[in-house]
Amino acid sequence: MKVRLAKHGGLAPGIRQPPLSVESSALSDEAAAELARLVAAVKTVPAVSAESPGRARDAMSYTITLEENVGEPTVLRVSDVTMSASFAALLEWIERHAAGK
Amino acid sequence: MSRSVRCLNCIVPPHVLKKLLESKDRGIREAALNSLLVTARLRGERGVRAATFVAPPGDGRRTVYDCRSGYFLPLAVVARTENGEAPSDASVNLAFDGLGTTREFFREVFDRNSIDGRGMRLDGYVHYGVRYNNAFWNGREMVFGDGDGLLFADFTRSLDVIAHELAHGVTEFTANLEYHNEPGALNESMSDVFGSLVKQWSLGQTAEEADWLIGADVLTPEIEADALRSMKAPGTAYDNDLLGKDPQPDHRDRFVVLPDTEDGDWGGVHINSGIPNKAFFLAAVAVGGYAWEAPGHIWYESLLASHERTRFQEFADTTCLKAGQLYGNVEQQAVTDAWREVGIRVAGVWAGTGGRGPGRGRGGEPGRGTEPAENGDTLAALTKQVAALAAQVKTLARDVKTLKGRK
Repeated sequence: MKVRLAKHGGLAPGIRQPPLSVESSALSDEAAAELARLVAAVKTVPAVSAESPGRARDAMSYTITLEENVGEPTVLRVSDVTMSASFAALLEWIERHAAGK
Repeated sequence: MSRSVRCLNCIVPPHVLKKLLESKDRGIREAALNSLLVTARLRGERGVRAATFVAPPGDGRRTVYDCRSGYFLPLAVVARTENGEAPSDASVNLAFDGLGTTREFFREVFDRNSIDGRGMRLDGYVHYGVRYNNAFWNGREMVFGDGDGLLFADFTRSLDVIAHELAHGVTEFTANLEYHNEPGALNESMSDVFGSLVKQWSLGQTAEEADWLIGADVLTPEIEADALRSMKAPGTAYDNDLLGKDPQPDHRDRFVVLPDTEDGDWGGVHINSGIPNKAFFLAAVAVGGYAWEAPGHIWYESLLASHERTRFQEFADTTCLKAGQLYGNVEQQAVTDAWREVGIRVAGVWAGTGGRGPGRGRGGEPGRGTEPAENGDTLAALTKQVAALAAQVKTLARDVKTLKGRK
């Protein structure tokens, strides 16, 4: 499974922020299992993407693309103000593991 | 916990859940919040967070929370309270101080009690996310990231960024400029204006001495960039392979048309804010002295007189009107010239001139301009000013209607 994270918006949206990606085959068994657990948790909670900024100002949004061995990629999109606990956990995990590479 | 959440969803009515949000028990607060959020998502409601976090008045009492690198605010822990001791965490203390300085600025300069004018509590969240390159206002609190150390440093280091975010709250409780297209760009500009003014006020800088940069303190020294934005010279804050080029225009003719979508920055609100930003800078420098005095008051009062859909032209007209009402010809001419230089011709009313235009400039010399009148055409000028007055009355009537609707 490959997980890609793209970040958008913020208080300076013109500044490019590089995307991150994690390939589960390159992870330890323990880390790969953790990633699979986090992905499974996210897929059970409906992602709320922003059709309008609402009351948020300068918030960022995130697109996580899950490319699994079968089927079409799953695309999840949330923002800083529509963050569920499970999405937050996956986001934090990706940031930590992708940066470590 | 999940079973408790499901039970709360089924049995406990929303008004009880909201009361539980005030519980001293953190576990109860989290459960209530989760229930409300899940319920809101199921119902498709987006406003529950705003509805539940109506803060009681508190003279702007500050609380800073530590997110401990998480992205879910309910799990943050209290790091510092208004009367609590300062911890060893520099980010906590910088956020605490920045909230306080901004609070004092609005109180002393505009006689405004916190963001909502009624002592709204000021809550800040630090250490949000992992290497999070941003700070934001969520409609109730402000949130800071630590930066990745490559592009950005800790966002609590920047007083103008802290004040920028809090000023979004001020805008929300006044004009409530909608966050799309021109009104959204004005919204962003108001935050840059007040962000810069808070910094200038804290440093005792005149308009000439100020750097007029937003976010200069959050960029790392290694990055060849001045800041996130420049009010003095929009479009010049940065230009390198790593960051790209600052996309802000400095003139109405170069307004960047973008789709009103998230990817389009809701019609370029952070981009086209460069136009009114520059207008404020020009007006401030032309008036001279401290920018938070005449220019700041003119802009603040114009914000109070604006509404959700105020666009650049209407706001410019209002600033001209306010300049005349609050000050005089010098300030009014400065404001008019500033807007003209960014491509917006003011159709404002000139106070005390009987429709003859700005008349006298500084030192009693005859004024050079006859904005908005065409040269030598007094009747046309009067007609135009009557039309402008009518538009102002219409705006005021709308403001009154809006205010009545909010009570």
